[in-house]
Amino acid sequence: MYTADIRQPLVTGGKTYSDVTKDVCRPIENKPTPSWWLGFSIAVLLLLLLAGTLAWTVWEGIGTWNVNKSVMWGWDITNFVFWVGIGHAGTLISAILLLFRQKWRMAINRSAEAMTIFAVFCAAIFPLFHMGRVWLGYWPLPLPNAFGSLWVNFNSPLLWDVFAISTYLSVSLVFWYLGLIPDIATVRDRATTKARKFWYGFFAMGWNGSAKSWGRYEVVALILAGISTPLVLSVHTIVSMDFATSVIPGWHTTIFPPYFVAGAIFSGFGMVLTLLLIARYVMNYEDYITSEHLEAMTKVILLTGSIVGLAYITEFVIAAYSGYEYEQYAFANRMFGPYAWAYWTMMFCNLMAPQVFWSKWARTTPWFIFIISIIVNIGMWFERFVIIVTSLHRDFLPSSWVMYHATWVEVGIFLGTFGLFFTCFFMFAKFLPVINMAEVKTIIKDKE
Amino acid sequence: MVDKSILLDNKKFTIGIFDDSDKLLHAVKTLKEKGVKIFDCYTPFPVHHLDHALGYHRTNLTIGAFLCGMLGCLSGFTLAYYMNVVDWPMIIGGKPQDISVFTSFIPVMFELTILFTAFGMVIMFFARSRMIHGIKEDLLSRRQTDDHMVLAIDNDEDQAISNDDILTLLKKEGAIEVNNSKEAFNTSLTSEEELAKLLKKPKAPTKAKTSTKKPKKK
Repeated sequence: MYTADIRQPLVTGGKTYSDVTKDVCRPIENKPTPSWWLGFSIAVLLLLLLAGTLAWTVWEGIGTWNVNKSVMWGWDITNFVFWVGIGHAGTLISAILLLFRQKWRMAINRSAEAMTIFAVFCAAIFPLFHMGRVWLGYWPLPLPNAFGSLWVNFNSPLLWDVFAISTYLSVSLVFWYLGLIPDIATVRDRATTKARKFWYGFFAMGWNGSAKSWGRYEVVALILAGISTPLVLSVHTIVSMDFATSVIPGWHTTIFPPYFVAGAIFSGFGMVLTLLLIARYVMNYEDYITSEHLEAMTKVILLTGSIVGLAYITEFVIAAYSGYEYEQYAFANRMFGPYAWAYWTMMFCNLMAPQVFWSKWARTTPWFIFIISIIVNIGMWFERFVIIVTSLHRDFLPSSWVMYHATWVEVGIFLGTFGLFFTCFFMFAKFLPVINMAEVKTIIKDKE
Repeated sequence: MVDKSILLDNKKFTIGIFDDSDKLLHAVKTLKEKGVKIFDCYTPFPVHHLDHALGYHRTNLTIGAFLCGMLGCLSGFTLAYYMNVVDWPMIIGGKPQDISVFTSFIPVMFELTILFTAFGMVIMFFARSRMIHGIKEDLLSRRQTDDHMVLAIDNDEDQAISNDDILTLLKKEGAIEVNNSKEAFNTSLTSEEELAKLLKKPKAPTKAKTSTKKPKKK
C-alpha cells in the first residue's frame, strides 16, 4: 500500500472489498430508481426527436438545413467537432493518466470511456447525414468499386479523418471492454437470475481472476494505454487538419492541431464533470468520486482552458501581425462582425469562466463546478461555431456574403444527439458497473 | 456454452482463501520457500508482485503486439501506395502522384498501426488466456471475483511437505478458510438453493440500503 501523508485517501468511508462490489453492483441488481426512469424517458424522447429530424432530412433532402454555398458546414460540422472533442477526455483519463500513474483516474475511467464511445457515435451521425445521401455512406471507405477503380484520395485530411475516427472508436471500444471483463465476471458470480447469469457469463469470457491472466491483462492494458495516447492526440490533430489544410482565412493556421487537442480535452473534462456530478449525486457515489477527484479534474480544466485561451490570443496576434488583409479581416469580423455575440460568448466561457478554479473553494464545491462545467460545454460548442461559421460566411467575394442561421431541423438533430448520448449512458449505468471495481479495490487503502 | 477444461477435469485442489492481498502474497512466498508447487492464485483485482512471487515470467504479448503494429503500418502504406500511385493516380492541379506524396500517407499508416496493434494484442491475449465468448468459467470460490483471494495447489503434484502441513501453514498465514479437496465449479453448476444461501450474507445489507432509499423517493 502506498501512502503519502499529505494526500487524502482515494476512497473514503472506510470501504472494504465487498462494500465496493455491493455499491457498484447495486444499480445492476436492483430495479431502476424513479430518477433513472425520469432521466431515461427524457433521453428517449430526445432520441425520438433525433430519429424524426434525421428521417425528415433524408425524406425531404438536405435543403431542410440552412447550410448554403458559402456556409456549407454550419451547425452540422460544428456538432461533429463538438462531439468528437467530448470523447477525448475519456481516453485521456484512461490512457494518459494511466501512463502518468494518476490513481485517482480509477474511479472515473469507466464512465469517461463510456462517454467517449457514445460521443463518437453521436459525432459520426453528422458527417454521414451531411453527405445528403446517407445510404452512400460507405463511399469514403477504400473499397473496390464500379467507378473505374477510382479510389479514395489519400491526400485528403477528410479521408484521414475516416481512418482516425473509426480507429479511435474501435480501439476505445476494445479498451473499454477489456476493462469491463473482470467486473462483468464479478456481476456474473453474484447473479441470481438466469438471464443475468447467462448474459454476464457470456461477456465475461470465462474470466476467473487467475494470477496468470492478471499478469497478461496488466501488460495488455498498459500497451493499450501507450498506443491510445498518440491515437487520441492524432484524432483531434486530424480533425483540425480538416480546417488547417484549407486556404480559408481563419482556418489556415499551424496552431490548429495543439489548440484543437487542448480544446478537446477541455470540453471533454467539462462533459465528464457534468455527468459525474449527476451520477455521484443520483447513485450515491460520493465515497468513490470524492472532492479530491473533482479538484483534480477542475485543475485539468483550468490548465487546458488556459491553453485554449492562449491559442485564441495567439491566433489573433498572428493574424494582426501577418500583414495579410484577408486574415486580418477574418479576425476583425469574428470579434466585431455580425457573429460577435458568439465570439464573446466563447471568450467568456472558455477563457474567463474556468479561471475561477484558481480558488480552492471553487474547485471543491460540487454545485459550482457543475455550473462551470455547463458553461465550458457551451463555450466549446461556440468555439467550433465561431471557427466554422465566421470564417465561411464572408469569403473572398463580397457578393456571396451571407448570414447563416440554423433551421429547426438542424437544432433538432443536435438536441437529438444528446438524446442518443444520454440514452446510451443511462443504459450503461443500469446494465454495467459504472465504477471499475477491480481497479478501485487496489486503491481503497491508498493515499495518493 | 463451451467448457473450459483447465480446472474442470475432476482435479482436486488444496485451497486457502484469504481476505487480504498482503497475507496472500506472504503465504505464497512462504510456501514457495518450503518448496511447495503452487497451481495458481485467483484474485478479484491485480495483486502487485504476486506474479513475481509465483515465479511467472513477463508475458511475450508485447512482441506479438509489435509485430501486429508493423503489419498494420505496412498495410497502411501498401493500401495508400497501391490505390493512389499504382492503380489510379489522381493528378490534381498537375501535382505528381508518386512516392514523393509519401508524407500524406503517414496519417493512414499511423492509424492502421494502432488499429492492428490493439486488435492483434487483445485477440492474442484472449487466445493465450483461453477466453472466448460463452466459455464457462471455473471457480474455486464463489467470491473470488468479489472479495476473496484463492491460493490453489494441485493435489496431483508431488509436494515437498505433506498436505496437512500445507493446510496448517495456510492457516498460520491467515487463511480464513482452507479445503484439501476442492473441485472447480462454475456458476451454472450451482443450484438455486445453494446460490440463495451463498448470496444471503452479502446481499442483506444491500437490501437494507435500497429499502431505506425507496420511501424517500416515493
